[in-house]
Amino acid sequence: MTAIADIDVAAAPRSARGATLDRAFEILCFSAATFLLTALGGIVISLVIGGWPAIAKFGPAFLISAEWDPVQEVYGAAGAVTGTLITAALALAFAVPLSFAIAIFLVELCPPILRRPIGTAVELLAGIPSIVYGMWGLFVFAPWFAQHIQVPIMMSAKPGSLLATLTSGIPNGSGIFTASVILAIMVLPFIAATMRELLNTIPPTVRESAYGLGSTTFEVIRKVSLPYVRTGAIGAVMLGLGRALGETMAVTFVIGNSHGFPTSLFAPGSTIASTIANEFTEATGALHVSSLILLGLVLFIITFAVLAMARLLIGRQANL
Amino acid sequence: MSMANAAPRLSRRLGEIAFLAFCWIATGIALVALTAILWALVKQGGGGFFKPNGGGIDLNIFTKSTPAPGNEGGLLNAILGSLMMCTLAMLGAVSVGVLAGTWLSEFARESRYGKVVRFLNDVLLSAPSILVGLFVYEILVAPLKGFSGLAGAVALGLIAAPVITRTTEDVLRLQPVALREASVALGAPVWRTIFAVIWKAAQSGMLTGALLAFARISGETAPLLFTALNNQFLSLDLTKPTANLPVVIANFALTAYDDWRRLAWAAALLITATVLVVTMVARTILRGSARS
Amino acid sequence: MNAQLESPPETAVLEIAPETVKLAIKDLNFFYGAKQSLFDVTVSFAANAVTALIGPSGCGKSTLLRTLNRMYSLYPGQKATGQVLLDGEDILNPRVNVAALRARIGMVFQKPTPFPMSIYDNVAYGVRLYESLSRQDMANRVEESLRRAALWDEVKDKLRESGLSLSGGQQQRLCVARGIAVKPEVLLLDEPASALDPISTARLEETISDLKSEYTVVIVTHNMGQAARLSDHTGFMYLGQLVEFGETEQLFTSPVTSRARDYITGRFG
Repeated sequence: MTAIADIDVAAAPRSARGATLDRAFEILCFSAATFLLTALGGIVISLVIGGWPAIAKFGPAFLISAEWDPVQEVYGAAGAVTGTLITAALALAFAVPLSFAIAIFLVELCPPILRRPIGTAVELLAGIPSIVYGMWGLFVFAPWFAQHIQVPIMMSAKPGSLLATLTSGIPNGSGIFTASVILAIMVLPFIAATMRELLNTIPPTVRESAYGLGSTTFEVIRKVSLPYVRTGAIGAVMLGLGRALGETMAVTFVIGNSHGFPTSLFAPGSTIASTIANEFTEATGALHVSSLILLGLVLFIITFAVLAMARLLIGRQANL
Repeated sequence: MSMANAAPRLSRRLGEIAFLAFCWIATGIALVALTAILWALVKQGGGGFFKPNGGGIDLNIFTKSTPAPGNEGGLLNAILGSLMMCTLAMLGAVSVGVLAGTWLSEFARESRYGKVVRFLNDVLLSAPSILVGLFVYEILVAPLKGFSGLAGAVALGLIAAPVITRTTEDVLRLQPVALREASVALGAPVWRTIFAVIWKAAQSGMLTGALLAFARISGETAPLLFTALNNQFLSLDLTKPTANLPVVIANFALTAYDDWRRLAWAAALLITATVLVVTMVARTILRGSARS
Repeated sequence: MNAQLESPPETAVLEIAPETVKLAIKDLNFFYGAKQSLFDVTVSFAANAVTALIGPSGCGKSTLLRTLNRMYSLYPGQKATGQVLLDGEDILNPRVNVAALRARIGMVFQKPTPFPMSIYDNVAYGVRLYESLSRQDMANRVEESLRRAALWDEVKDKLRESGLSLSGGQQQRLCVARGIAVKPEVLLLDEPASALDPISTARLEETISDLKSEYTVVIVTHNMGQAARLSDHTGFMYLGQLVEFGETEQLFTSPVTSRARDYITGRFG
C-alpha cells in the first residue's frame, strides 16, 4: 500500500518536497492577495482614524458648512464637495458625447489604415501624466481660453442676465470651467477605450441585420448598438466619473483654489483633492490636518460608491 | 413621389450627416488636444535641453541638481530620485501583483473570497491616488516623523500593484487548461507548473502589465507630495526626503522664476516622453504576442 | 460466451488473465459535484497492450481516463470512489503522492500542448523533475524519446527552436515524446488524433503501435476505425457505464450486448 507514497522518497528525491512547496506557494499567493485587500481596508481605517478629531469637533456640520478658515480653525467640506461634484459633472457632460463619438468613429467609421494610429493616439492621451495636463492647462490652455472664449462671452452677456451671472469673474482663464475642460480631456480616453471594447462585443450579425433593414449608421447606433451595450456604457461613464472625482494635480493647477461655494462657472473654486494637495504639507495645526484627512474620507466614500457601481455594471467584459 | 415622403427622408439624411460629422469632429478634437499638449511640451520643454543663448545641447539637465533661483542647475537629483523610487515600487508591486494575480487565476477561481478580492482590487485600481498618499502619510510618515523616499516608493507601489494584479490574472486566465494538466500529468507539482509553464506562456502579457504600471506611476505626483516630499540636493538616502521629477514640476512650475519654470517644462517633457515610449513599447509587445 | 440469443446481456465484461493485468479498476464511481458520471466500472487493462475506450460523447470515457492518473484531484468538487489498482496498489488512496504517481502514468491530450520552451526543453521538462542526468545522458534521453515518437528526423536540426513552431501533428508527437521521456509504465491518450489531419493521424498511430511493446497504453477515441486498428482490447462505454469490454476483434465483429452492437453498426452515437 505504501509503494507509491514512498516512491518519491526512494526514486525521486526532487519531488518529495512537491506537495509541501505547493501548499507554501499557494499560501504565498493567498497572502499577496490578502495584502491588497488589507491595503484597501487600511486606507479606510487610516482615513477614519486620521479624520476622527475633525469628526468629533464638527460632526455632521462638516458636510454642510462651506466655511474653511485655518485662522479661526473652522472647517467645512461643502465648498470642496460642491466644487468636486460640479467639475466632475461638467467634465462628463463634455467627455461623454465626445468619447462615445470617438469610440463609434473607431469601430464603425474609421478607414482601416487609420484605425491603429488613431486608436494609439487616443490611448496616448490617457498616458499623459496628470501634472503635465495641469501645466498645459495653466500655461497654454487658460490664456488661450481667456482671450478667445471667456472675454468674448463676458462682453456679449447682457448685464443682469443668467449668462452674465454664470460667467462673472476675473477673465484669467482659470476656474471651475477650465478645470472641467481639462478633466474632460483626461477622462475622455478612458471612456472611449471602454466604449470601444463594448461596441466590439456586439455580434456583427446584430448590426448587419439592422443595416439590412435600410437603417442609417446613426439609427443603427442609436436603436441597436447603444441599447445593446447600455449597462456597460453606464459603467464606462461611472468609471470616468470616478477618475474625474479624484483627479488631483491637473485640477489644482487650473481651478484657482479658493474656498467656499463657487459663484459662477468662471469663478475660482476648489475640489477635495486640490484642497488636500494644496494644504496638507503646510497645514497649520492638528485640527487642520485632521479636517483634510476627513475630506479625504469623504472623497473615498464618493469615489468608492461610484467605482463599485461602475465595476458591477461593466462586469468583466471590458478590459479596463 | 409626394412631399410627405420626401420630408422624413431629408431629415433622416440630415441627422445622419450631422451624426457622422460629430464623430469625425470628436476624434479631431482628441487628436488636436494631443498634438497641442505634445507641441507645447516640445516647444517649452525642449529648450531646457539646449543652452539658453543657443549654444548647443545643455547637459546640465543630467549632470546638475536643482538650483537655487537664478543659478545654473539641472534635474539630476530628481531624475535619480524618481528612478530609485519607481524601481523600488516596481519591485514590490511586481512581487505582490504577480502573486496576487496568480492566486486569483489559479487558486481562487470562483470562491467567495476570490470574488471579494477581485472586486476590491478593481476598485483600488482606480481609487484616487492622493488617498494612497494620505494613507502612506498616516502609516509611515507620521509615525516615523519624517518624509522619505521610502514612503514615496511604498505609495507608488500601492498604485502599481493592483494594475499588475489585474493584468496578471487576465493573461493567466487566457492560458489553456490543457497546458496546466499536461505539466501536472508529467508529475510536476503545481508550483513548478506555474513557474515553468504558465508564467512562461504568459510572460509577454505580464511584461506589458508591468510596463503599463510603470508608465502609470512614473508621472504620479499627488501621492508623492506628502510622502517623498522633495529635496533640493542630490541624495541617495531613501530614508530622507527625496527629490523626484513630478514634485519638482509641481514646485517649480508655479513660481515666478524663469529658469525654474524652464526646468519644470523640461521635466514634464522628460516624464511624458518616458511614459509615452513605455506605453508604446508595451502595446507593441502585446500586439506581437497576440499575433503568434 | 453462452448462447443467449433470445435476450442479450445488459453488460459483458471480459476478465483478462490475472498475470497480465497492469491496471485493475473495481467498482469505480465518479462524481462531478453532485452529478455522477461513472457507475460501478469494473475492468482490468493488460500490460504491454493497447486498450481502447470508445463510446458517444459524454459517455464517461475521458472521465475514466482522468481517474487513472488522478488528474481530477486538481479540481475540488470532483471525487472518485472504488479502487484503481496499479500493480496491486490503490492509487485512489489519499495518501498516494499524486505527483510521483503521474510520473509513472503519462498522458497525452486531445489538443497538442507544447510548453512555451524549446523542443529539447519540452522533452527534458518531465525528466528534470525526477532525475538528475548528465548533459550527455539527457541528450541521449531526449533523442531516444523523439525517435520513439517518430519525430527525431524532423526536428534533430532545430532542437533549440520553440516547440510552438512545429505543425499540429508534430506538436502532438512532441507531446508523446515528452510523455515517454519520463519512462512511465502506463500511457494515457485522450483522443490524441482528434485535432490532426489524416496524414499526421496515420503517423501518430504508427507511433502508438510501436509503443505497446514497452508500455501499457490506454487510448480514448471516438474513431472506431482507429480503435480497431490500434488496440488489443476495447471497452464500449455508454452513459457512464462500461457496457462491453473484450478482445477488439470480437467486440467489433460480434458484440454481445445490443447497445454495443447498435453503436458499432452505426445505429446511434
